[in-house]
Amino acid sequence: MSALSELSKLRTGGHQTPEQRAARRKETSRDNRAGYAFLAPWLVGLFAFTIGPMLASLYLSFTDYNLIQSPNFTGFDNIVRMLGDDRLHQSLRVTFTYVLVGVPLQLIVALGIALLLNKGMRGLPFYRSVFYLPSMLGGSVAVSLLWRQIFGTDGLINQLLRALGVDATIGYVSHPDYALWTLILLHVWTFGSPMVIFLAGLRQIPTMYYEAAALDGANSRKIFLRVTLPLLSPIIFFNLVLQVIGAFQSFTQAFIVSGGSGGPSDSTLFYTLYLYERGFTNFQMGYASAMAWLLLVIIAAFTAINFFAAKYWVFYDD
Amino acid sequence: MTTTRRQFLAMASMGAAGLGLAGCSRGDTGDGDGGGGGGGGGDGDSTSLTLTWWGNPTRNQNTTDAIDAFTTENPNFSIEAQPGEWASYWDRLATQTAGNTAPDIIQMDMAYISEYGQRGALLDLAEYGLDTSKFIEGTADSGVIEGTNYGVNAGINSPSVLFNAAMFEELGVDLPDDTTWTWDDWLTTAIAITEASGGEIIGTTAFISNDVMLSAWLRQRGKELFIEGNQPGFDVSDITEWLEYHLQFADAGAMPSASQITEEASLPFDQGRLLTGTAAMSMYWSNQLDAAEAAGGTEYAMLRYPSFDGDATTRKAWYKASMLWSASARTENPEAAVEVINWWVNSTEAAEICLSERGIPANGEIAEHISSMLSDPQQRVAAFIADIEPELGDTPIAPPPGGGQLGSLLLRYSSDLLFDKLTVEEAATGFYDELVTSLGG
Repeated sequence: MSALSELSKLRTGGHQTPEQRAARRKETSRDNRAGYAFLAPWLVGLFAFTIGPMLASLYLSFTDYNLIQSPNFTGFDNIVRMLGDDRLHQSLRVTFTYVLVGVPLQLIVALGIALLLNKGMRGLPFYRSVFYLPSMLGGSVAVSLLWRQIFGTDGLINQLLRALGVDATIGYVSHPDYALWTLILLHVWTFGSPMVIFLAGLRQIPTMYYEAAALDGANSRKIFLRVTLPLLSPIIFFNLVLQVIGAFQSFTQAFIVSGGSGGPSDSTLFYTLYLYERGFTNFQMGYASAMAWLLLVIIAAFTAINFFAAKYWVFYDD
Repeated sequence: MTTTRRQFLAMASMGAAGLGLAGCSRGDTGDGDGGGGGGGGGDGDSTSLTLTWWGNPTRNQNTTDAIDAFTTENPNFSIEAQPGEWASYWDRLATQTAGNTAPDIIQMDMAYISEYGQRGALLDLAEYGLDTSKFIEGTADSGVIEGTNYGVNAGINSPSVLFNAAMFEELGVDLPDDTTWTWDDWLTTAIAITEASGGEIIGTTAFISNDVMLSAWLRQRGKELFIEGNQPGFDVSDITEWLEYHLQFADAGAMPSASQITEEASLPFDQGRLLTGTAAMSMYWSNQLDAAEAAGGTEYAMLRYPSFDGDATTRKAWYKASMLWSASARTENPEAAVEVINWWVNSTEAAEICLSERGIPANGEIAEHISSMLSDPQQRVAAFIADIEPELGDTPIAPPPGGGQLGSLLLRYSSDLLFDKLTVEEAATGFYDELVTSLGG
């Protein structure tokens, strides 16, 4: 509609009578109303299911709400308790390790596979789907259960090692020194969705840059570092931001692999898992709400840092 | 020809309106049902209740059948069933309670009854005419906490140790005499099995983090898991000794490794080591025998847990409510809810349908009535429950709020110990301190 009115304006030229202006205003406001009408379902959802509960949780984070009795205002008690909560600190350590190691590794693998697939091989759609599949499944209950089978004491890995004559008795998912790393491996394995985005990004790099570089005699390493990486940096940045936010909120894998306990020895006690335990197992929903807000602050801080740092390494072509 | 934009918009808006209508009509029906039910209750023609339980396929069938029998007998009642699984049951109940939509009748567990009761979520059943006059001694007050009756015993249980007798015979190890065996005998028997099988079969499943066996062990030392006033009934030195006792199993390979314990903690019932034939003995509740034999495909010997003195009469056994029937404090029909509960625990009709799946009925006459109808394992359980009566000590009090987590807390500290992350003293102190904190709030 508004594109049409722009067109009619062009046709009539810049000169408009007051009647025409009034008609335009009317049309614009009708357009706006239609716009809001179409937005309404989303807006209702936003206020009813996102903003509303968030405000409620903000209030609850200053109370001793236990899910059953009505909440009492306790001021900053929850926050003071969080400072002295060793398990909370452990859960932060676990989550930070997971994010800081898992996300870069996953992006490197995703980019590597995307570069391989971008070579224009035969059967590309097939490979793309095969590599994408894990990211559809990675956060699922089924794969987490599978992970337990593979990395368990009598799991596939140990059976293979034993067949090779190694005395393998360590259950990787159930040993405190290894459990988190199996989950990081699971995270890396779900490289499919950033990979697909990388592939699309690689396709958008104009071939003329490559032709020019080849004419100047650049080798493939130079081409990658000087052409591909800078032109892909907005895509890398996009993937980084999304994956960091997602990784902070990981829950299912740890919940299933550790049977909901974050064990062994709290080595897979993800932040969200501990939050869940506090809220629904220990009936400390006030404390859990305060934890949720701390997580929001942490994620916001990381995203802000990302955007700030982006100025120095993300290159926008246009 | 093709659809014009105008036509498309018209269709889309009709679709949206249709959706809106669908939404409204669904909402209306929901309100109508609720209102109708509530109003009807007031009039006295119809009372609608919801009833929730966790269970297994057998129990789900029993419970549905029992509900049908009750509503056929009392046509003015309608009961909506809300079956569940143990793992997700408590999350759902907590959420429903928070949202003011708790079911009227709730299958409750001893571990959570204080949590809900002392926070005002459960009805005082005694006030609305609960009848426990025929209950065997010591079973009527399972759900009574500080004078308020938050739940009634739905069946009697007692802790026991199941043995794979065929496996013992095959390996040439003697079954212990359960009237005289001691805690040390548990250790030597487990080691004997592990050695006789060349390490193929693990002597016993781990009970280092088993709150039931810890309770039995403490009671024989004159202590308890919990005492009045939301406190632990033991001290750090008791736990230190308990952990040291179990380290002997670990050192001898007579119990699963720390990794295996971690992996097995969340396995479904039918994949327990005893039932898959990779361990020779394991602690179970008596009412689980039936399900255990069905899953394991073999017969198990049900024995008493040991004592320190080698005398079963000093082992301070107890009857536990395998589960309880409670009612929501917010129910609109408290009398009706208690009427259903009374029928469930005191009527022969209900007992004939459910038999001893929830444990032996606490009402002595009812237990007697169904005794001849029980399956073979259920009859052995009934005999076991009757036989141990002279060995009963006081009934332990219900865990206070926060106390339901004792088992998972002990599991965490004992795996830290078994993984050499903590010393015995550190694990015992850490466990004790964290337990005290969680009982505090």
